[in-house]
Amino acid sequence: MIHLLHFLESIERRINPFFIEVARLTRLSQNFLYWTLVAPVIGKRGLRRHSFIEQLVFVGNESVFIMFLVAASVGAVLALQAAYQLKQFGAVLYTGALVSVSMTRELGPLVTAIVIAGRVGASVTAEIGTMKVQEEVDALTTMGIPPVPFLVVPRILAILIMLPCLTVLGNTIGIFGGFLIGVLGLGIEPAIYLHKSFDALVQKDIITGIAKSIVFALLIGIISTHKGLSVEGGAEGVGRATTQSVVLSIISIIISDCLCTGIFYYVFP
Amino acid sequence: MNTVIQVQNIHKWFGSRKILDGITFDVCEGETLVIMGGSGCGKSTLLKILIGLLEPDEGGVLIFGDDMASVPEDQKNRIRKKFGMLFQGAALFNSLAVGENVALPLKEHTSLDENIVRIIVKVKLELVGLTGFESLKPYQISGGMKKRVALARAIALDPKIVFYDEPGAGLDPITARVIDHLIMDLTKKLKITSVVVTHEMKSAFRIADRMIVLHQGKVVACDTPDKIQNSTNPYVQQFIHGEIDGPISFQETREHYLKGILGENAES
Repeated sequence: MIHLLHFLESIERRINPFFIEVARLTRLSQNFLYWTLVAPVIGKRGLRRHSFIEQLVFVGNESVFIMFLVAASVGAVLALQAAYQLKQFGAVLYTGALVSVSMTRELGPLVTAIVIAGRVGASVTAEIGTMKVQEEVDALTTMGIPPVPFLVVPRILAILIMLPCLTVLGNTIGIFGGFLIGVLGLGIEPAIYLHKSFDALVQKDIITGIAKSIVFALLIGIISTHKGLSVEGGAEGVGRATTQSVVLSIISIIISDCLCTGIFYYVFP
Repeated sequence: MNTVIQVQNIHKWFGSRKILDGITFDVCEGETLVIMGGSGCGKSTLLKILIGLLEPDEGGVLIFGDDMASVPEDQKNRIRKKFGMLFQGAALFNSLAVGENVALPLKEHTSLDENIVRIIVKVKLELVGLTGFESLKPYQISGGMKKRVALARAIALDPKIVFYDEPGAGLDPITARVIDHLIMDLTKKLKITSVVVTHEMKSAFRIADRMIVLHQGKVVACDTPDKIQNSTNPYVQQFIHGEIDGPISFQETREHYLKGILGENAES
């Protein structure tokens, strides 16, 4: 009996922090929605425009180069792998179709989100975490400036706007990467490759991809700002929170990708 | 004299550890109250409760008659505009220049014209002796200067009360003295009520109108500096003279070691 109680206690000890974390994430999401949607309507100062523009530049412009490299490589790899299989059926011509559809529906949004979780999510957590450790967040609060609209809202909104943009850019560059391999490596006629690529692509592929990237953006934004605000214990705490932020973002991106794909497949066939 | 802060029977636990055990005192308008005590006596927790960063488990803090603990966040922010706070590490925003740091509360809470904000920032920086430092970033100035900028930011909205957390910590004796003078100056010139948390005796006796000594979460003395100096309370005497021997023990006795090893029932 005592063993059973100990066992239940140890389970509780492990599960409790999880629920506390979920509750905090929910509260931050509610706060974010309040300061983004409700506060401006009732005459409170919601978004800080200057900080928002700074964040847009940081999330968007400064990620373009790394996105270019990653998306082009993914597109090229996809073309090579597709050609390897399609060759067996004598269907190499369909490489373009496979690259464009998998890029827009799946890999474009996913890879972009993972790159942004690593590049932007980590830096958001580290920045807010350092501010927390150096009492800057407390200083904001004591000045009567709520930290959520000042620090959290501009960052999440910037990710929310820039991630879909970067996804569209990533899709295009990925398709272009595949095109280069298809034309230069596999010897497919450029016009035929492009025709096959865009023939297979329908509007729904692009829209579902962008819908996914919006979900990923929310996850990265909420998780990275939450982890930053919950830092405790100096430089070590900042390091730990940054790692947790990236790991948790990537895991939740992949799991939500699975859910989204399932929903799109079964609910909106 | 009017009472501006009323601290009423505050209790605070962290887990099973009791940090504050029934703290009660008042702060009058225009006075400088120094809260002293050794490390871990609950000074910082008390200060965090005063400025509304932590909530007490029991009791309340009235600032200008409003209870910080029970009002909603909006109201709290309105009360917070009436006081400023100087953090131990200055807590300047590293991404903003010195001038922008001082201007931040003005830009957030007022709709003043950009030019007027610039003039106010200049005046506030002049008050702390840092004219012309507006465009430097916090990492380009010394620790003492950072504290002064933080002080300028704390008084940007002309608060009635300023809280100071260890204003002299980490500074050389001369700079610490400069900060002390600033505190006294501001109290006089701007008629600000000051609440200073410190454990530096020299500085405390220099600036205080009244002092509170905390020990293990309780107020053990509350009086003017002269009376504190001549207090017969052994805790106070040990603390202000920084003696190792006294009622606050740092060295374990034989009995303590035995109790630690064998439990409470150990016979010595």
